[in-house]
Amino acid sequence: MIDVAGIIAENILYIAMVTIGGMLISWSVHFVPVGGAPAAMAQATGIGTGTVQLAAGAGLTGLVTAGAVMSVSDSLPLVAASGGVGAMIMISVTMIVGTWVYVYGVGVPPASAKVDYDPITKDRQDIYVSQGTEGHGLPTVSYVSGVIGGALGGIGGSVIYFALMSTSTGLSQSDLVALASIFAVGIFFVNAVIPSYNIGGTIEGFHDPKFKKWPKAVLASFVATLMCAFVGILTIGGL
Amino acid sequence: MEPLMGMGVLALMGAAATIAGTTEDLESDVGSQSNPNSQVQLAPQMMYPHRIYNKAISGEPPSNALICAIGGTVASVLMTASLSVIFAIAIGALVATAVHGTYCITAYMGRTASQKRFRQPIYLDILRSHTPVMMGYAFITTFCILVVSYIMVAVLAHPFPLTLLAFIWGITVGAIGSSTGDVHYGAEREFQNVEFGSGLNAANSGNIVRKAESGLRNGIDNSWFCAKFGGPVTGLAFGMTVFLSGWVTAVFNPATSLTMGWLSVAAGVILVLLMIIWNRKIEVAARKAFGPYKEEEEVAA
Repeated sequence: MIDVAGIIAENILYIAMVTIGGMLISWSVHFVPVGGAPAAMAQATGIGTGTVQLAAGAGLTGLVTAGAVMSVSDSLPLVAASGGVGAMIMISVTMIVGTWVYVYGVGVPPASAKVDYDPITKDRQDIYVSQGTEGHGLPTVSYVSGVIGGALGGIGGSVIYFALMSTSTGLSQSDLVALASIFAVGIFFVNAVIPSYNIGGTIEGFHDPKFKKWPKAVLASFVATLMCAFVGILTIGGL
Repeated sequence: MEPLMGMGVLALMGAAATIAGTTEDLESDVGSQSNPNSQVQLAPQMMYPHRIYNKAISGEPPSNALICAIGGTVASVLMTASLSVIFAIAIGALVATAVHGTYCITAYMGRTASQKRFRQPIYLDILRSHTPVMMGYAFITTFCILVVSYIMVAVLAHPFPLTLLAFIWGITVGAIGSSTGDVHYGAEREFQNVEFGSGLNAANSGNIVRKAESGLRNGIDNSWFCAKFGGPVTGLAFGMTVFLSGWVTAVFNPATSLTMGWLSVAAGVILVLLMIIWNRKIEVAARKAFGPYKEEEEVAA
């Protein structure tokens, strides 16, 4: 019989870390400028793909980097920072190539339809939005917002992986890595999906009015991730 | 590992990833997967029946993650049975391709059959000619991603299992493909009937180009066009992601000391800052080259 209370008491810190990681991921998704299907037709500002897909793509790339660093170092700040950097690199590369396609392939300048002036560069936006669209491409504010989102998502995923890897268990190292990484990916997806109800397909970044709704998603993620954390830690701790 | 050797391994991974990214995007152009498919799906409802392959098995990331995970699983199993690595990876990719081909056919048949009321025919010649092309592209994508994942596990001693790495890179290549190359297909190729750079008015939705350079346009015509720009840049994006995310830890190896680990983080941040500046340069150049769509008038900031 598994000693449920004992495992929870022993690993309460890691349960908290997993939960915080999940909340970070949920918050990070609001920063990522995604335009969904309209952006793929250059009809909305942001990257032309779905919220969950891009956040997962970036965060999981960060997880790969964090996993590599965690195998040689046991410093939590370094593992988290490496995860953040891996995700930032993936999302930056995707956005810069996206800009090439919008500018050289489609022939539209980056422009936001949600604000008249870019909050970072102070450039006029509204007159660069083509007729009948909700903006297109990635103006500097959206780009910077995406980088922040990538970093937070990568850090969140790495913290979850670190916590699961640190749980006291009787598993062999290779089994523990496999189980912890799969749980980390799963918890990442749970928290990447929750904010998409707030975002509803398109968000331009932290200057978008929809961004203000993030506390609701983070609260929902707190509840969902806490349950995931119990299951994950009990599974790994009980084996 | 010797630093020079490490760089060589990374270069090989980057090259394999570049090919994987390119074929991933071209596969989605032939079959019209992901977001631009919304227009292909919409067209018959707006009375524009067409001869373009219509499959959206799912979003590109889950679809590619599925085939890469299947390929990775089969390859892992064959490798534990002590078969040669190349053979195992090739058979893994082949099984994944067969699964992908099945999904392509059921997606096309199902989606097109549901549009009977809009008089959209099911073209069996399109099914016969396009499905092998997509399977071919899917094979190359899966094979290259399995090569990247295998190198990471066997040479770079990454702790994750091969299948999980293949799954993660599948998600990433799909996310990159649908964010970059698909825009070239969705915003330019599908709407070549509007002036270049005029933007795509939402009122044009569903009015996709249905005539080709010769005859009626199909998915293979679309991949011919996207292979000139959208496909290769997707490949570059995925290659850069794989290469740069490994490069920072190859140059500044965290295994040697904690300081080196933090230097690798700093190197990554510098790369990202350079890309922010690059994006800004392109933005300024584009605004200058294309000019505003409307006359400038003062608005309250």
